[in-house]
Amino acid sequence: MNRKLTNWILGAGTPVVVVALWWVASENSTNTFFPPLNAILERFQALWLFEHFGSDVLLSLRNLVIGYALASVIGVGLGFVTALVPVIRWGLDPLIHFLRGIPPVALVPIFISLIGFGIEMRLASITLAAVFPTLIATVDGIRGVDSTLKDVSQVYRLTRTEKLAQVYLPAAGPQIASGMQVSLQVAFIVMIASEMLGSSQGIGAMTLLAQQSFMTADMWAGILLLGVIGFGANLVFEAIKNNVLAWYVGSKRLARS
Amino acid sequence: MKKNLRQMLASAGGIALVLALWQAVATGPMAGGPLPPVSLVLAQLAGLLAGGTFWAALAETLLIALAGLAAAAAAGVVLGVLIGSFEPFRYATAAVLEFLKPIPPIVILPLVVLVLGPTTQMSWFLVFFGCVLPIIMQTVAGVHDADPVTLDTARSYGLGRVEILGRVTLPSAMPFIGTAMRVAAPAALVITVVAGLLGGGPGLGLSIYQAQAGGDYPTLYAYVVVLGVLGLAFQGASRLAEGRLLHWHASYREVLNP
Repeated sequence: MNRKLTNWILGAGTPVVVVALWWVASENSTNTFFPPLNAILERFQALWLFEHFGSDVLLSLRNLVIGYALASVIGVGLGFVTALVPVIRWGLDPLIHFLRGIPPVALVPIFISLIGFGIEMRLASITLAAVFPTLIATVDGIRGVDSTLKDVSQVYRLTRTEKLAQVYLPAAGPQIASGMQVSLQVAFIVMIASEMLGSSQGIGAMTLLAQQSFMTADMWAGILLLGVIGFGANLVFEAIKNNVLAWYVGSKRLARS
Repeated sequence: MKKNLRQMLASAGGIALVLALWQAVATGPMAGGPLPPVSLVLAQLAGLLAGGTFWAALAETLLIALAGLAAAAAAGVVLGVLIGSFEPFRYATAAVLEFLKPIPPIVILPLVVLVLGPTTQMSWFLVFFGCVLPIIMQTVAGVHDADPVTLDTARSYGLGRVEILGRVTLPSAMPFIGTAMRVAAPAALVITVVAGLLGGGPGLGLSIYQAQAGGDYPTLYAYVVVLGVLGLAFQGASRLAEGRLLHWHASYREVLNP
């Protein structure tokens, strides 16, 4: 009991100590690269909560959400078709694997050359880059469905829709979810990259601009905000995943105990 | 056999169809636009492969990615064993690691470029930062996963701490570390390219940026094709290495009588 308490205090206390140390160590800092933490937080408040909230923060988040949602729908849908129709799978397989090998950020210059620096470019880059992890996980998940399950659904004469919705989707669910989690990471990275490459709007662009004009506190504020968004997006995803896949999480816990 | 043949035909057909479509669009409705025809891209690719600058950029990219990966592996395993072996360490670092884990290295890129400039060290540091956290966390999980009965047995045989670490804990953590490395190797390549593209670090990323900025679209596409092949090679090599190096472990042994 006592040991548990110590561990809990350690877990909760370390982040506090780290932030406090940062605060104290940087308080009178005159180093251009590492401004005082309170200066960073002041700029954070001024920039992101007021001045640029509507113009940049919301814009970036909207691109991220729309691009990611599109990628998820396309990835799962195309994944189902690819996994279940052999001819399409054979035809698409080499192509999918080749496109997957390309670093997602390297696609951004191509989209810039094709459709310019606008919002469409950012959305298209995010969507295309984030499709692949979900798509590949969906294909693998459906291909890996237990053959007994397939036989049983055959014996019960389930219709095609019933099979898809009640057998394949739940069976492949955990794998699809982990693919979608990777997609979320990729979408976030490409969101930042598409803003850093020549755009003038968005959190990524603001952060890079601040760096190039040596406004270090502003740059730190941008890094903090991006870090919080990356962490928060993952947290939200985990919460939804644990909710939707509650049966799976529960069965795994049972199997372990 | 017949099925295999049909499969290969479909694969070849899929590739041919996409290339033909690309060529048709690039020479037809979008002629003279930013989309270069396949033939031009392939010619440019051949030109790149014949020149020296391409190979220099490729070598730099590989060197940065592999050096960053190696440093991350060494630091990650040592830190992971330390954190995993002592419970207070694990609790103290859990929150910080969980916070940092979903943050990709591109987030700190502006800071690193500001401090280190567009240099090899900058790219290297980003690769290190991006790869070290997953390796630490997997090592901690692996150390934690060691079979308690085996640990107790080793202890009752009078093995010392170091010996237990070398003979029980590390071997049982290997598959976790192997998985982390297999994921980290392609990531190291991606981060090197990102560092070049956005931070101006040397290598293929910078070459892509220069091709795009200069409007040299055939070269841009040729570089992206090269990166696709390189990415596949990294994925394949890391998977192969994992299987080769860990074949002795229970979870990798092939089942003889399924």
